[in-house]
Amino acid sequence: MTASTPAATFEALDDLDAINKLYRERRWSDGLPIVPPTPERVARMLACTQRKRDDVIAILPPGFGEATVERIAINAVMAGCDAEYLPVLIAATDAVAQAQFNIQGIEATTNPAAVWLVLNGPIVQQLGVNATFNCLGQGTWANATLGRAMRLILQNIGGALPGDMDRATQGQPAKYTFCCGENEAQSPWEPLHVERGFAREVSTVTVVPAEGTLNMNTHSKDAEELLRVMAESMVHPTSNEYCHGGEPWIVFAPEHADILKAGGLSKRDIKERLWELTKMPAGHLSVKEILRAQASRADEYGAIKPDTLLSIARTPDDIWFIVAGGPGTHSVYVPCFGNSRAVTREIT
Amino acid sequence: MTKRGKAALTICSTAFKTLGHAQASALGKKDLPIALMPHPFGLRKREEVRAIAEKCVDDIAQLMTKAGSK
Repeated sequence: MTASTPAATFEALDDLDAINKLYRERRWSDGLPIVPPTPERVARMLACTQRKRDDVIAILPPGFGEATVERIAINAVMAGCDAEYLPVLIAATDAVAQAQFNIQGIEATTNPAAVWLVLNGPIVQQLGVNATFNCLGQGTWANATLGRAMRLILQNIGGALPGDMDRATQGQPAKYTFCCGENEAQSPWEPLHVERGFAREVSTVTVVPAEGTLNMNTHSKDAEELLRVMAESMVHPTSNEYCHGGEPWIVFAPEHADILKAGGLSKRDIKERLWELTKMPAGHLSVKEILRAQASRADEYGAIKPDTLLSIARTPDDIWFIVAGGPGTHSVYVPCFGNSRAVTREIT
Repeated sequence: MTKRGKAALTICSTAFKTLGHAQASALGKKDLPIALMPHPFGLRKREEVRAIAEKCVDDIAQLMTKAGSK
């Protein structure tokens, strides 16, 4: 499919302040200064893909804008991406548009859901994506600008402007940028993309509908205890996941992953343990949330009563994790939107 | 629905009015009738919802008839 119209161009003063003033007035930015997407910069970006500039990668709700390769490139330039990052964003745009990701719901909801990009495979090294120290924080160009570009694509092409079609009550900082690699070298298990059916040497991006991040600090050296305290951290009655049967994510610190591995636990074992340990009596939910759970999960539970033990996800397989970060005893719980499933795409 | 020749309207709470109009417009249906309910809707008791429904049912029927006659 090719675009119905090419991206519009306009002339502006060769002055960064004036251009940023214009972008601010037209609400084309995320609130931070942008890199002007001049035809030359966009052309340099487009040289890093085999795709034609007017190829439509996706139609992005809630505004149903055509996400062409060119428009993705324009937003990538604005976010400060290196030209080599473009294929990641093309794959990520395709991923967010898949029905199971429910981007219409994620963008138009009052929930703070942000799109978290998780990169796997050789591309992590090639682009210098941070998968170690502070990988969810500041300081790495690829992480910062890739996540930012994803947001600009959703806002400028998808039309999800805050207060208009993006109805988030407060939103969250991750809506500016949220991107990391998996620390595959320090993971004792197969990496995420292999688990999701891709060859190890393939590069992928996985899009995850993240509600936020919760630091889970524990100095425990016992695998079973580690899982117990993490599970107790994940249980919270204001979670969308219990209402819908969600897809929670965890970022295990390499140190925690080593303890779990030393405890003889496979990925499957960990998922099953967490699924059991995070079960919560429905009575912990508010009455309204029990009704929401009833509407969403009657097929699983029939009539939900206060003593019905609700699982955080429909099956253990719906609990996902990666290993990322540097040394330290901090893992991260990433609660998710609930009504959505992550999508992985190969980066080509 | 309207593209299939069926009369249609959207019902949403006042907090989603902007979204409703913007999406209708993005889909090329700028004149899609939108019936607005007072926000917040999700926190209301069943009896309150029923009272609101009874209050607006005539207006919604009128909007629907108007949409169907186009």
